[in-house]
Amino acid sequence: MLLKVNNIHKSFDGNLVLKGISLEVNKGDVIAILGPSGSGKTTLLRCINFLERADDGELIFDDVKHQLNKISHREISAIRKKTAFVFQNYNLFLNKTVLDNVTEGLIIARKMDKKLAREKAIKALEKVGMADRLDSYPIQLSGGQQQRVAIARALATDPEIIYFDEPTSALDPELIGEVLNVMKDLANDGMTMLVVTHEMNFARNVSNKVIFMDNGQIIEENTSKGFFENPQEERAKAFVQGIIEQRAIKKEGEK
Amino acid sequence: MSERIWEILKNAFFRILIPGIKVTIPLAVLSFAFAFIIALAVALVQFANVKGLKQLSRFYVWIIRGTPVLVQLYIVFFGLPKIGITLTAFPAAVIVFSINEGAYMSESLRASLESVPHGQIEAGYCVGMSYLQIMRRIVLPQALRIAFPSLGNALISLVKETSMAATITVVEMFRAAQQVNSIYIEPLWLYTEAAFMYLMFCTVLTWLQRWGEKKLNAYGGVK
Ligand SMILES: Nc1ncnc2c1ncn2[C@@H]1O[C@H](COP(=O)(O)OP(=O)(O)OP(=O)(O)O)[C@@H](O)[C@H]1O
Ligand SMILES: [Mg+2]
Repeated sequence: MLLKVNNIHKSFDGNLVLKGISLEVNKGDVIAILGPSGSGKTTLLRCINFLERADDGELIFDDVKHQLNKISHREISAIRKKTAFVFQNYNLFLNKTVLDNVTEGLIIARKMDKKLAREKAIKALEKVGMADRLDSYPIQLSGGQQQRVAIARALATDPEIIYFDEPTSALDPELIGEVLNVMKDLANDGMTMLVVTHEMNFARNVSNKVIFMDNGQIIEENTSKGFFENPQEERAKAFVQGIIEQRAIKKEGEK
Repeated sequence: MSERIWEILKNAFFRILIPGIKVTIPLAVLSFAFAFIIALAVALVQFANVKGLKQLSRFYVWIIRGTPVLVQLYIVFFGLPKIGITLTAFPAAVIVFSINEGAYMSESLRASLESVPHGQIEAGYCVGMSYLQIMRRIVLPQALRIAFPSLGNALISLVKETSMAATITVVEMFRAAQQVNSIYIEPLWLYTEAAFMYLMFCTVLTWLQRWGEKKLNAYGGVK
């Protein structure tokens, strides 16, 4: 077991957004977190990576237990060095080139030797097909390219797990595929991933587990096969059906 | 224009220009440099939400922006000696202009800091950087680039503002013009000549500002 969270609670201004979430991630797991808008998926990921401070709950990472509401900066920074986060809107460093975006976490945060960092960064950028744009700045890239650089930035730090928050939701439809392919490659390489997504094909074909959230709670936890072929909960069923229909309508509209 | 006026203007030229170069420019540049340091500190503690210092910063900006610089000059130069703090005119002017301009500049720096897309800070945390590293390497460079035009404008207004130091006996360009005028009594021509020199200084600064902006843009990156 790589990561376990128990009973996370989080509220914003008295509005309870996470109502006691628990989940477990094993090494090599690719877990898709699904659920309607506002169900708390982003908040969950942000609490796990301390971008938000949870009100209650504990997190066990690499067999070390932490209380989420009183975890120290030192503990946070130790865990963050072993994790990575990919954002919906990429959040590349706009004043840095593609290469520097990737080396920043190595040279500055991990004090890695510059040459070594560069080699590692180039390897990661090759992996996502962006090694030919080392000197470009983020604004010179398409959304899909930026997101691939963001994935390389995550990858280069050799994380034990990568969190993805809707990595393709900000992309034009024709750019989604290139990002999903990169994520699929990572999954095949055995990378542990926790992925909030609305991409049902990814959840069905790439992830091995699915967590379905609604209203701040986990409604269903299942293998991805089980979830799509035989969902246990009515709400999950309705949700899957809804997404498939939306897709069909969109496709129809594009024709 | 009569022969006589032409002679006066020629005579006055260097007597106005030299104090401009020797006093106006150093006064503006020094004040600008100190103001920048003050502004950076004041903007950063507000941006980083440092308890106590943030409130203090707001207080400082409130006081300074709510009072005329001329009055501030008088308080420091004529007022402070009454409580035993006597400054000569030039340092007094530098202090007042630094503190005054610092308050305005801190507001534009703060706005620039706020306008750097926030997600990059979180991305910095997620790759393991500390807050200070993120500020120094990601946020500040972008904020300064955004602030560059308004910093340039601040320097240009400061050059003109230094003329107020004439009122506390600093012999800068304007006071030099006054002195020349007291000999020839040709205020229209002599003050126009002084105005022309301010214009030249400011024109050069405007060129520098444009050049700097081009350089920054060529360097790519932020819109
Ligand atoms: N910083 C915040 N301050 C106040 N409320 C917030 C904040 N962040 C999230 N919320 C609220 O928490 C709830 C859950 O939001 P969250 O972003 O986690 O949902 P989500 O499942 O990621 O939705 P989506 O699919 O739209 O991204 C929403 O009602 C949202 O309005
Ligand atoms: Mg979300």
